[in-house]
Amino acid sequence: MIPLELNILLASTMFTIGLYGLVTQKNGVKLMMCIELLLNSANINLVAFSAYQPNVNGQVFALFSIALAAAEAGVGFAIMIALYRLYGTIDLDNIRAMRW
Amino acid sequence: MEFAHYAPLWAEALLTLLALIIVLLGSLMKNSGKLMGGLSAAGLVAALGLVSSNLTISKPALFFFDTISVDGLSQFFKAVFLVVSLLVVIASLSKYTGKGADEYYALLLLATVGMMVVASSIDLVTLFVGFELASLSTYALAAFDKSRKNLEAAMKYFIFGSVSSALMLFGFSLLYGMAGSTRLADIAAASLANFGPATLVALIFVIAGFGFKMALVPFHMWAPDTYEGAPAVVSALLAAGSKKMGFAAAFRVLLLALIALRLEWYLAFAILAALTMTLGNLAACWQNNVRRILAYSSIAQAGYIAIGFVVVGAAYGAAPVLAFSGIVVPAAQLGIAGALLLILGHALMKTGAFIGTSQVASMVAAGSDGDPDDISNYAGLARRAPITAFCMLIFMFALAGIPPTAGYIGKFVLFSSAIYSGLVWLAVLAILNSALSLVYYLRIISYMYLKEPAGPKMAEQKGYVVALVLTTIAVVWIGVFPQSFIDWALQAAAVLLPQ
Repeated sequence: MIPLELNILLASTMFTIGLYGLVTQKNGVKLMMCIELLLNSANINLVAFSAYQPNVNGQVFALFSIALAAAEAGVGFAIMIALYRLYGTIDLDNIRAMRW
Repeated sequence: MEFAHYAPLWAEALLTLLALIIVLLGSLMKNSGKLMGGLSAAGLVAALGLVSSNLTISKPALFFFDTISVDGLSQFFKAVFLVVSLLVVIASLSKYTGKGADEYYALLLLATVGMMVVASSIDLVTLFVGFELASLSTYALAAFDKSRKNLEAAMKYFIFGSVSSALMLFGFSLLYGMAGSTRLADIAAASLANFGPATLVALIFVIAGFGFKMALVPFHMWAPDTYEGAPAVVSALLAAGSKKMGFAAAFRVLLLALIALRLEWYLAFAILAALTMTLGNLAACWQNNVRRILAYSSIAQAGYIAIGFVVVGAAYGAAPVLAFSGIVVPAAQLGIAGALLLILGHALMKTGAFIGTSQVASMVAAGSDGDPDDISNYAGLARRAPITAFCMLIFMFALAGIPPTAGYIGKFVLFSSAIYSGLVWLAVLAILNSALSLVYYLRIISYMYLKEPAGPKMAEQKGYVVALVLTTIAVVWIGVFPQSFIDWALQAAAVLLPQ
């Protein structure tokens, strides 16, 4: 069995990459990919922990969160498409009428 | 027999079913907006009746393998969410009648169900699912008019909201790894027995995740933009409903599951509360857009409500104190009750205020271009739209915490609990902040009552007027007869503390 530490290392790395991307990227779709990375790192954690527990709660939780992540991507892309139709871009630097 | 067993959850079932029926009917019928709005309002009233039939439930009823608990606290929050949704639906009847109105009402009902599930959750899985149901529905609602501002607001709300759910989920995964269970009671037992650095990391993630929803500084960046850009009635739902859902979740997770780490989160919330109320009030003074002022004021109010957590952290397990009017309760219970009262009061006041801005915006939008929420449009509102202006006046006074209103009662109970638990500095800071907040509330009032009108008298729309008057009556009622509400909040607060 792969040691728990390696799993958590993988999850933490994915999480960090996702956070880094969220701070540096300006493209709406790239931001959504970063959010997916964050969610999936949590899923890896859940499944890895579940392998070391007598119950499968973690795996069930991961299944729920995968379904919810899909729904979230659906709503997110709908907003991005509507944005693109109106602004002609999804570069978020160009979409900021409201500040402070 | 099974059916009767689930009686405390009928309200959720009813609203879910109604939302699906509305989507179905909406796809079959054309121009059925009024009917759908009426159906939603009727459903919400029925759900409110079902919830209030066991409002003061003494023994928690557990469902679905101990993942859903119907107790005093959940009923309190459910009543708040249902009242807010009902007011929003009544106000929306003036605005959403045409094409797509069925989707609007269905999403609104689903968001309400999500919030109600969160209020009842005693398991991380149900909590997360409820949280996401409410969040996803409100992302779509924020973009509903598809104007430029709407979409920008929805985009910001979506990005920040989904990051916050991801942070929360990461924290939950660490908690599961620590305790080997997703049940709050098991996590509490495991962390009381022994907690390591992983639990602390989980705590940070969980506070950050909830902090985004509660719009505490420094997690507040999305709130002013979203409240300004989203449709005003949706802003009301966000500020009064979805924000309070963050508090409901934080109460459950921090006080039930992570009570072993209370000294850690006590410190975090002391800093967050002080920062949030000060920055929220200061930023509100510089704004010219009324909805932006309300957004910053709701950030400041979140700071006051967060004092409840600080009080619990400081006074957990302390002996009962003799509070005002002969009530003898532990300071921690008084603190939670104060936070709950302010949640109830703020939910009503903010719903009303945002509905008022919607009324004003709909009146001026016809005649002028430019920002419909600009404060210059409120000049002489007392003569242009007397009912709206008077209701807004009451809400501004209530938000500032002037008696006899709901805002005053909440602040009074909360700040006195802070003093009873030795947090005099925090109470003083909060009271100074309340005084500072008068600057911008009085500015709106002076525009409405002292300036020359900017245009002729306007016709006030019926849906808005009904919602505004109902909210005003509720705000003043709580302020004039607070005793039963204080008792109710104290009883709800007892759920979170060991008996």
